[in-house]
Amino acid sequence: MNLEKLLYDAYGYTEFRPGQKQVIEQVLSGRDVLALLPTGMGKSLCYQLPGKALPGAVVIVSPLLSLMQDQVAQLKKMGEKSVIAINSFMKPEDREKAWNTLDAYKFIFVAPEMLVQPYVLGKLKALGISLLVADEAHCISQWGFDFRPDYLRIAEVLPKLGNPQTLALTATATDKVTDEIKHYLKLSDPFVYSHPMDRKNISYDIRKFETDHEKLEALMNLVAEYGGPGIIYAGTRRKSQELAERLLSLGIGAAFYHGGMEQQDRIFVQQQFANKELEWVCATNAFGMGVHIPDIRHVIHFQLPSSIEGYVQEVGRAGRDSLPSLATLLYAAGDERLVESLIMDDLPERHEIELIYERGEEAKQLIEQGMMRETAYRIISYWRERLPLEGTLNQIERLKIEKQRQVASVRGLVHSKGCIRQYISMSFDQENPGIPPNCCSFHGIDYSLFKGNRSELKASPHGSWKERLKVLLPI
Amino acid sequence: MRFDEVVLTIMKAVDGQRTVSSPYHLIKGKKSGQTIQDIGYFGLHPFFAVLPKLDKQDYLSSIERLQAQGLLIPDENSVQLHRSAFDLEIPPTPLNGWKYRGNESRFFARLSLVVQTMSSFMQGHKRFDPVVTDETVQTWAKAYLKRIDFRSAGVQEAFKNQIETSLALAKTTEAHKGILMERLSGYGVSGLTWDQLAMKYDMLPIDVKIAAVEALHAWLEVLESMEYPMLAGMLEGIIQQSALTESAKRTQKLSERGFSLKQIAELRQLKTSTIEDHFVEMAMNDPAFSVSPFMDERLFESIHHISKELKSMRLRDIKERLPEASYFQIRLALAMRGGIT
Repeated sequence: MNLEKLLYDAYGYTEFRPGQKQVIEQVLSGRDVLALLPTGMGKSLCYQLPGKALPGAVVIVSPLLSLMQDQVAQLKKMGEKSVIAINSFMKPEDREKAWNTLDAYKFIFVAPEMLVQPYVLGKLKALGISLLVADEAHCISQWGFDFRPDYLRIAEVLPKLGNPQTLALTATATDKVTDEIKHYLKLSDPFVYSHPMDRKNISYDIRKFETDHEKLEALMNLVAEYGGPGIIYAGTRRKSQELAERLLSLGIGAAFYHGGMEQQDRIFVQQQFANKELEWVCATNAFGMGVHIPDIRHVIHFQLPSSIEGYVQEVGRAGRDSLPSLATLLYAAGDERLVESLIMDDLPERHEIELIYERGEEAKQLIEQGMMRETAYRIISYWRERLPLEGTLNQIERLKIEKQRQVASVRGLVHSKGCIRQYISMSFDQENPGIPPNCCSFHGIDYSLFKGNRSELKASPHGSWKERLKVLLPI
Repeated sequence: MRFDEVVLTIMKAVDGQRTVSSPYHLIKGKKSGQTIQDIGYFGLHPFFAVLPKLDKQDYLSSIERLQAQGLLIPDENSVQLHRSAFDLEIPPTPLNGWKYRGNESRFFARLSLVVQTMSSFMQGHKRFDPVVTDETVQTWAKAYLKRIDFRSAGVQEAFKNQIETSLALAKTTEAHKGILMERLSGYGVSGLTWDQLAMKYDMLPIDVKIAAVEALHAWLEVLESMEYPMLAGMLEGIIQQSALTESAKRTQKLSERGFSLKQIAELRQLKTSTIEDHFVEMAMNDPAFSVSPFMDERLFESIHHISKELKSMRLRDIKERLPEASYFQIRLALAMRGGIT
């Protein structure tokens, strides 16, 4: 089969991005595949194109609702009409309709928690699945930063679906996580494609300060000297708001973005950023998904990231166009304390574990009453079905040790003396990446490369509603 | 109208008789018997469900402001307004919540997507990230665009003209219309967030939201005339033709044909009390409802007079003072629109 021709006929592209072709060839040859591709490298094409050639349906299991929606939107934008997403937020009548017309669709997105329902399983089995895709497969790892217990259930349903061919996709995985993915998804002799995670066009800069005040001043100097488009990761919702206000007061186009905003406002900020109406978005880590902007020049961390994986993902949003981009991490003495408490706070506590074992499903109400965290409930109710209380307590103890390692690796990012690029690659068990020009603050960066390219901002029109209408519908 | 003024207007009506959280439920559009009945009793139709997504914290902030201004006296049991609150001039509002029930946001979502699509196509871009992600709205907008043949320049122009002329007629301020238009997106122009609008106009974000709803309600009022077919087409399923339940509708039909309450109960083989409920529902929803078949004017006035004097909407309190009135008559009298005045 001529893959280039297939690619052109289906989507109008003339060439593959690195890795895509190898992965697609293996998928079409019938092998299980585990592909580690950095975000923005066109992961979804790895199942889209095979979908064009395979006889049956492609079922994509996606852990996050927002991620699922974004992928569906992207597929549709590429002109793919045969797409449907089924999740538990749909109206029952819509879902019913979806199930009954399922065979009309090629690409079916399903939330992991739905996959275990016997009704759903029956429908999928009757359908004939050509390929099962586990997107964000690292979520299956209980040691990972993104553990979704529901994801482990994929493993449980695979046999019931007749063990279909499986493609596991992820952007970030250490060797340990890779092994877990293979194990839980029962990948038999899989082809593993691991794209070098290193992004040569990104320069890593870490700047340390004694006080918060100095750190803030440094940020203000950065935004005065350096242009966007850029993202400033602020750590908390409140901080993202605060920083945006500061930038605005300096006359710099900025907006804040966090998960507490209503959906429409979040879309507006994404649009404004894509339209170059903004230079900076001050955000929590909620910002990123659904942002497909190739020319982000600068990602600034005003807080320590809560994991190396998260850091790499966030930084990786810069420079998708392969042009030189800067990643700046601002650190003030003591910053790791906030991160440590954030990471460790995530862990279920003994009393929560005991409550869930005592009350089962009813414990869910405690979330609303603020007596229990949702993540804790999610993780523990998974284990409750499988382990006695003691076993779960042990499990959580081990998780705690793993989390401490996570904290240590973030701390190492700021405090280890040496090449930052190398440190990151090592954290992912990858080979020594070499030293590109402007590698990192250890090896030296020519900052003049990045300075001064303040992008032209569109002035926000200040007119009557009729003028606004004229801009919207210029006819 | 600012959000605090919305809260204050509701509080004036329920002063001393309802809890401090009752305006919150009303503004959010809670469909409980109590809330629905209060709308009729206190004449609060404009404010029902005007902000279905109202955050409790935003409401509590408003309460704090009203207390800080000395308009609201802190009280655990019920709304206790200070006398000065009644002297405040509150501007009239185009809000019409009981009629639109929060559905105006669906109209606006459709409009947003249709405007964005036209804007993009008009400028030669067929691929864009839709500003509305809701699938139901997307499906609706696709069908609508196809139906009106949106690629034709004539259609696009007519569409824009209909927006311009109808919105010009809406009985709301130019500034509010501006806010509404700035919530729309087009090719290369994005909508503004509530916080951005708040900063631009130096208002509270919650006041910007109320302003947008006011502008929408005023606009919808104009669109209902059906003189703007392209926009009227977007009202599909947005305006409830009748606020009545199905069963009450049947009672209403029979009543219009001249059957008495007793006859209707017999015809429909329902209890008289059920039919009485239907009449109360009709009295609440139909401004033209006449009570004359059920009581004379004198009794109607007495019920209102006593309710006002006792500052109470409690049936039992009124019945004690006016034993000759039946409970049904009291309910009916109180349910009439603007019951308390």
